[in-house]
Amino acid sequence: MSTGPRIVIAGLGSEYRRDDGAGVAVARALADRLGPGSDIGPVGEPLDLLGRWDGAELAVLVDTVRSADPPGTIQVVELGTAAPTGPAPAAGSPRSSHGIGLVGVLRLARAIGTAPRRVVLVGIVGSEFGAGEGLSPAVRRAVTEAVDLVAGLPEIEAVRCA
Amino acid sequence: MADDVRSIAVEGMARVEGEGSLHVSVRDGAVADVSLDIFEPPRFFEALLRGRHFTEAPDITARICGICPVAYQTSACTALEAACGVTVDSRIQALRRLLYCGEWIQSHALHIYLLHAPDFLGCADAVELAERDRAGVARGLAIKRTGNELMTVVGGRSIHPVNVRVGGFWQAPTREAVAALAGPLDQARQDALATVAWVAGFDFPDVESDYRFVALHTGDCYPVESGRVVSRGLLDATAEEFSYRVVEEHVARSTALHARIDGELTYLTGPLARYALNSRLLPEVARRAAAEAGLEEVCRNPFRSIVVRAVELVFACDEALRLVEGYEPPDPPAAACSAPDTGSVGAGASEAPRGLLLHRYELDGRGMITTARIVPPTSQNQRAIEEDLRRVVTSSLSLDDPELTLRCEQAVRNHDPCISCAAHFLDLTVEER
Repeated sequence: MSTGPRIVIAGLGSEYRRDDGAGVAVARALADRLGPGSDIGPVGEPLDLLGRWDGAELAVLVDTVRSADPPGTIQVVELGTAAPTGPAPAAGSPRSSHGIGLVGVLRLARAIGTAPRRVVLVGIVGSEFGAGEGLSPAVRRAVTEAVDLVAGLPEIEAVRCA
Repeated sequence: MADDVRSIAVEGMARVEGEGSLHVSVRDGAVADVSLDIFEPPRFFEALLRGRHFTEAPDITARICGICPVAYQTSACTALEAACGVTVDSRIQALRRLLYCGEWIQSHALHIYLLHAPDFLGCADAVELAERDRAGVARGLAIKRTGNELMTVVGGRSIHPVNVRVGGFWQAPTREAVAALAGPLDQARQDALATVAWVAGFDFPDVESDYRFVALHTGDCYPVESGRVVSRGLLDATAEEFSYRVVEEHVARSTALHARIDGELTYLTGPLARYALNSRLLPEVARRAAAEAGLEEVCRNPFRSIVVRAVELVFACDEALRLVEGYEPPDPPAAACSAPDTGSVGAGASEAPRGLLLHRYELDGRGMITTARIVPPTSQNQRAIEEDLRRVVTSSLSLDDPELTLRCEQAVRNHDPCISCAAHFLDLTVEER
């Protein structure tokens, strides 16, 4: 990817909890496709987005989601510019006292004025979250679709063509 | 009033990979019962380690905590190096200490700014704090980011570093990569000094506790990655000797283990203990910051632990800078370690951001782990935290239930245990009869 407006693409989740690794798989495939010069890759925890996405034109966050929709369904959510609602930092997960969820991190970034101009969440509905590597067939197919979808976002196409 | 009962029941208290709860019962104006129940995941790791080769322990135990993986890796390495009869050279020791400083910077900045400060400023959470003090929170996040950078350069990544091995490191970072940390660390030190001044201005409840402090002590520098386990008038022990003195017991009300010295004595580890036993060993810049913040050589007010933690943040930045400036890549990056074919035993202790972390391993003649023991800070501090709660509730009975609950949460967060969730994760129920 050539130089241009700063774009950050982050894959969230754990590769060792089956379908939870979809975001990481999408980020890795995009890094291969879009090449050097782009900030694309896995993010260990949402808090690590602070600093990394500061002032970006676009941040694309890819994560596995739970939903009533069938496994492999892709959901795209534009997080908009209004302050998101939701759990406060560090209260987002009942399993972590120190982690800060994605919504909390975005709220925090907006409060201190470092949030990206546009934040797009690409969710892939997962079905298997047990220990171990490997995506379920439906989610594996969705990863390919999600890579095409993100690569086709106008900001990314514009930068690639610049 | 006879039979006047206030019951504070806090269910579903969150912590890393575990669950806990808090119960306080007040009867006839006196605290009748306090219990902080924690379900400790590290016990599973001890069983998991049996039958694994000793070289696997640093990577396996790092997974116990996402906030202090370096502590687990370091205690595991020093314990297993002791079992192998290996002493690492000064360059490896310095690089290990540098990596550990990164963890302290990261963890202390997180706790001070995002988890603890909102308590003192009447903010619901860090977002509300950021809305009020944008520059302040941005400063905290910048400090944390520098800690992350340091861990990435030395450890390979900022969470669960992959460059640590028994004997040292898989690869020594280049001089250039390490030198590039100097600028950010210098800025972080300035920001840490501003942090001390900021937290020193908070209002603190007037509470003092007669803690029995336990911390590492080296005699010539502030303890981080090594030292003898010391408690004034009670202990001056190697990690191996300490492992026999600290006795953990199962408490029926939860899966948590409670640690006591000799099975009897409650004690406290962590910043207050480290500072009390080592404040004279702090570098000048940190000692001056402590003095300007009004700290004496020993601090017994648990609410002022945020000030001590900020002073340690200054220390960690300053120490990291010193180590960066003197960096010489260890060559080879690790000492060769092999387990004696007769079997062996080794213990190691280091200072995790929230307190002393002890590891002890027994190996068979093939280097396989036959017994593993891990004593985390939260297990050691649990009784001291309960005693704090009892003291704090006793002195705060005039508060209404919401305020008393907040004060209890704050008393827990003072010690930064893994159960200290930043926002209001506690629900209060009051029963009067």
